[in-house]
Amino acid sequence: MRSRRAATLLLVSLALGGCATGDFAVRTLPPETPAADVTAALQAQQQREAASPIVPAAGSGLGPPLTDADVPSMRTYDPWERMNRSIYRFNARFDEAIFLPVADQYRRLPQPVRSGVHNFFSNLSEVVSFINYTAQLRLAPGVRSLGRFIINSTLGLGGLFDVATSMHIPGVRTGLGQTLARWGVHPGPYFVMPFLGPSTLRDSFGFVADYGTNYTINLGGLYQGTVGWVLTPLNVVDLRANTSFRYYSTGSPFEYDTVRFLYVRRTLIEDEALRWWHRAGKPAPEAPAGQ
Amino acid sequence: MRFTRSLGAALALTHLMAAYSAPAPAPATGLADSEALRATVYGAPPQDLAALPARVPLEEVNIALPWARPLPAVLWFDRRLRAWFSAQRGAAPLAIVISGTGADGNTTNISLLRGALYGAGYHVLTIPSPTFPGFIAAASSTGVAGDLEQDSRDVYAVAREIVRRLRPKVEITEIDILGYSLGGAHAAVVKWLDASQHELGIRRAVMINPPVSLFDSMERLDQLFASSIGQGDEGFDQLYRRVYVRLANYYRASDQVRVEDTNLMGAAAAVLRTDADFSAAIALTFRIALVNVFYTGDLYAGTGVISDPRHPPQPDDATEAVFRELLGKDFSHYFDQVFAPYYLARRPGMTREALYASSRLDLIGAALQADPDYYAQTNADDLILDEAELEWLRARLGSRIVVYPHGGHLGNLGERRQVADMLDMLGGRWAGAAR
Repeated sequence: MRSRRAATLLLVSLALGGCATGDFAVRTLPPETPAADVTAALQAQQQREAASPIVPAAGSGLGPPLTDADVPSMRTYDPWERMNRSIYRFNARFDEAIFLPVADQYRRLPQPVRSGVHNFFSNLSEVVSFINYTAQLRLAPGVRSLGRFIINSTLGLGGLFDVATSMHIPGVRTGLGQTLARWGVHPGPYFVMPFLGPSTLRDSFGFVADYGTNYTINLGGLYQGTVGWVLTPLNVVDLRANTSFRYYSTGSPFEYDTVRFLYVRRTLIEDEALRWWHRAGKPAPEAPAGQ
Repeated sequence: MRFTRSLGAALALTHLMAAYSAPAPAPATGLADSEALRATVYGAPPQDLAALPARVPLEEVNIALPWARPLPAVLWFDRRLRAWFSAQRGAAPLAIVISGTGADGNTTNISLLRGALYGAGYHVLTIPSPTFPGFIAAASSTGVAGDLEQDSRDVYAVAREIVRRLRPKVEITEIDILGYSLGGAHAAVVKWLDASQHELGIRRAVMINPPVSLFDSMERLDQLFASSIGQGDEGFDQLYRRVYVRLANYYRASDQVRVEDTNLMGAAAAVLRTDADFSAAIALTFRIALVNVFYTGDLYAGTGVISDPRHPPQPDDATEAVFRELLGKDFSHYFDQVFAPYYLARRPGMTREALYASSRLDLIGAALQADPDYYAQTNADDLILDEAELEWLRARLGSRIVVYPHGGHLGNLGERRQVADMLDMLGGRWAGAAR
């Protein structure tokens, strides 16, 4: 209990410390690194040029390419829109008042410390990724996940350093949401998760279940008890500090629609790539996407 | 088209009236040009970019402005204007940068300009376009965007207010202003306003790919929308299907299953292939900007085209149907249904034709010609200009304009040559295009 109170107190004081009120406020953002960004863009361009063709080759085992008839409706299945909108609004306010100020303060820590924290949590996430890759019967990425976990936990000093990526074994996360997608479960209604943002019913369930898995396995005793009360908030702050999304940065009254549209299309496109078998039935053209 | 330029102001006005009543202004120079379209969509390739600094500090400035109109419930999040500031350590000149149509003060284009300017030793303050919904709500004195002079007055007031707050913290030796696209026109008008009000003492202004007639440029983009996407839902639906199918097949074929969080739009741009695709992407970008301007303008002006002024929309109301309805409305709808009714009611003696004409840079034509501190950079194949407008700029600015052969609209922003010339202009070292 004491540690929980301490964690809450820490969050609140951090938030108040960085809180911006009044008619004029200045927030220090992470510096831009244009030179490095250009280098990264160059590399991405070279990778794209070397990448596979856009339409799968015949006989690649993926089934026939998608056609216009496979495209879901432009409308999105959102039966809980009113509730979702108010959660979205709540999230925006919470983000502004608590989340961002805390993330700002967190960013004052030296870069090596922050990347150590980030690598540490990324490494822990390989556990859930490995389990889910196995459940998806996707052996290659599963082995990659396991390999990363072993390499980074040992050579990377308990995950503080991402040695695997420098050995050209990049990490790609997965979770129960994707496992369900692989076995044909539809995303279901659009759902804005409190604090965490856009999701679907399936993926929210997956998120909670993945956390439950971690909590139950309680690897190294990191998820339960006092350690858990310290690490879980730190994990969340690290996540926020590494996410550039800003509520209402579009300034637009249609931001909710835009985010929903893009989020659900992204999910559906991922699903197309994940699904175990080529879908036999086409979506009914009038059904909103995600239903 | 060319002859109209040589006629006097009265005749020019007649010409404008003709342009207004006729269905369409003259076609732009680069609309049918593959290279111009491609450059406009993708921007300068990374290998052609000017050298940029390793690190640019960045602060977000949030400011509530006393003259803002009462905030509608649906825009609750736009109470304070957001601008961005990068400070040098010591005394330095300040460059104020204004974004293009519908854009925030922190876009990719802004980042390129900020990097170049900061690297050249400027403090950099970047301000959203007065057509950005966040600006319209937090900083516009009318809420009805699109009037060149009025919008520029609002930008000028915002710049004054922010600079006043920054002065105690940073030492500013001189102030220069620049903008890209529509922001270029605003930058020049702000300098013109400052020349009589002397509040900031703006030294030089650089316009990057500016429009000459804001409304004619908008109508050209509407034509592009009509020809590449078409009217009504069907054309838009087809575009969506085309992009979706290509993206989904791309991800199925690649090993990568996670679509990167921030990059769905980037990925979508990567699957565009034909001129029709590029045209549609450009047209859609501007149309979405217009959707926001239309919606907020209607809300503030109380014209009742979209929102019933007696029952103002609430934050939890569904908006998708409204959005789709607005996608089908072009600039002439906005002008006829919101803009003209609002301004005609407030400017006695003003006619529709004069209102339309007042959106031209003619407003500051004399200053552009006489004052050697105005500069411009544009491209011979810019999508938003026609030949006559390009000639108009050349005639006003003489050796103070550089016209690059290629680049479409902003497709060469950030390139070595563009950046070097821009810095020469801003620093007073420009010796003309034929060096």
